[in-house]
Amino acid sequence: MQSRLKLRGLLVMTLLPALLLYSFFVIIPIFRSSYYGFFEWSGMGDATFIGFQNYIEVVQSPIFWRAFKNNLIIVGASVLGQVPIALGLALLLRKSNMFQRFVRSAVFLPMVISTVVVGLIWGYIFDLELGVINTVLRNIGLESWTRAWLADPDVNMYAVSIPIIWNYIGPYLIIFIATIQNIPGEIEEAALLDGAIGWKKLIYIILPNMWGTIKVVIILCISGSLKAFDQVFVMTGGGPAQSTEILATYMYNNTFLVYRYGFGSAISTMIIILSLILIAISQILMKRKD
Amino acid sequence: MNSEMNKKGASVGFLVKVGIFKTLRVVFLSTFSLLMIYPLYWLITSSFKTNEEFFTQPYAFPTSFTFENFQRAWDVANLGQAMVNSAIVTVTATILTVFLGALTAYVLSRFTFKLKGFLVVFFLLGMLIPVHSTLVPLFTMMNEIGLLDSYWALILPYTAFELPIAIFLTVAYMSSIPKELEEAAVIDGSGYWGIFFKIMLPLSVPALSTVSILAFLRFWNEFVFALVFINDSALKTLPLSLAIFSDGFSTDYALTMAAMTIAVIPTIIMYLLFQEQIMKGMIAGSVKG
Repeated sequence: MQSRLKLRGLLVMTLLPALLLYSFFVIIPIFRSSYYGFFEWSGMGDATFIGFQNYIEVVQSPIFWRAFKNNLIIVGASVLGQVPIALGLALLLRKSNMFQRFVRSAVFLPMVISTVVVGLIWGYIFDLELGVINTVLRNIGLESWTRAWLADPDVNMYAVSIPIIWNYIGPYLIIFIATIQNIPGEIEEAALLDGAIGWKKLIYIILPNMWGTIKVVIILCISGSLKAFDQVFVMTGGGPAQSTEILATYMYNNTFLVYRYGFGSAISTMIIILSLILIAISQILMKRKD
Repeated sequence: MNSEMNKKGASVGFLVKVGIFKTLRVVFLSTFSLLMIYPLYWLITSSFKTNEEFFTQPYAFPTSFTFENFQRAWDVANLGQAMVNSAIVTVTATILTVFLGALTAYVLSRFTFKLKGFLVVFFLLGMLIPVHSTLVPLFTMMNEIGLLDSYWALILPYTAFELPIAIFLTVAYMSSIPKELEEAAVIDGSGYWGIFFKIMLPLSVPALSTVSILAFLRFWNEFVFALVFINDSALKTLPLSLAIFSDGFSTDYALTMAAMTIAVIPTIIMYLLFQEQIMKGMIAGSVKG
């Protein structure tokens, strides 16, 4: 009996600090933001209860939906950019000699770089005058293609997506390489006896064995690119004229620049709801294809 | 794949084809790696140039290496202070994460109790939440308790958000440690805390070092929390001061480049030293989430 009491005391003592910290900073904020979404509040003084008004304003705001569409562009660019690049590279990188290990390290390297630095460097790369992209275009005689990549509303969302693609290819590459290396040797040998080499081997042996992993990577890619904020914030801040606004910058600008805390809270809640819906949809779609 | 082709007794034409494929592959992979590294290469080489050289020859290798930019970044842009702040926040939060993560993982991997299943799901949930959706409520909560503009305004939320990954990486590792070791310790008269400090902690060092490397990188590079919770310029961390002074000094490219290089060097060194652990840890963390 005494030892059971002692055990219970130990459980409480050991779990409590982590549990309190985690609940206070990670879980409670979600409930707080949905609650404050019902108030008109400038961050100071009294908050006025206004019912669903903030939520209605969010849902009716064309800029909110443009921001959501921009988020989807980043998600789409990440899925269509990162997954095929990572998969293609993984198929070429199945050995672990020095050269192939170097390629792997190079592709993974951006993962450890500060996202602020990523945003700033790519801001320079896209620069109208000095930027490497326009310089290369001018040197190969495509002067007419040069433009202000981050300011031109026709292209700036795609431009903003490129650094995000560049940033996060690494983990997907490593996941794919591990999967290829885990394909049982017997399957490959049997395939070889059946004459499956080269492209045949790729289509009939390797890809079918990777489909499960590809699905997982696509889901990771969707949930990961929904979290993108830093690079966009540093490169454009959501501008010019809100053309690169994503949900997170829209929330940030409304809360901390014009001090509408209630409205910002409503946007935060919508971000969580939309993210969870998107992740759920992607999981359901991926399961159905089995 | 190619050696298997050779085994089948390939013709000369076939070998030529394989040779071409191999060469193309090396050319393609080299080009791709260089493209991946180029932004960083450009950043680091540019930080050694003077502004004149940067404007006239932005893509050439620097003609001479000047450390003046680093000196200016350190003094003028107050990067020294920012580095100290980043170090204090990062190290404290990392220690806290590792300790609390290990303690929780010890309980979750070694004891059975009613709420265990619930707790595991509860901690998993945290990995699904987009960090920026907690900014507004966290700001107002910390404002109410007077936590804003202090090191703790960053240390506590950093630790809280890193705990799920820390716990899951450590639980996985601790579950593989044989229970006999603890039984021996119990016979020697050790209590639960004794077992934790004398057996579980030392044996979990491989997992804990992965946790601390990942936490270090994440905290060192973290931007949004610092942006929202820190206003006092004496408390700004590196990413925050970079983002802010890039506006004010944006025409002083050499200075900005040097400042960014200073911020990036520690993480690159970490990467060169602990590459395998970083790769494995980051993937384990993302797949769990």
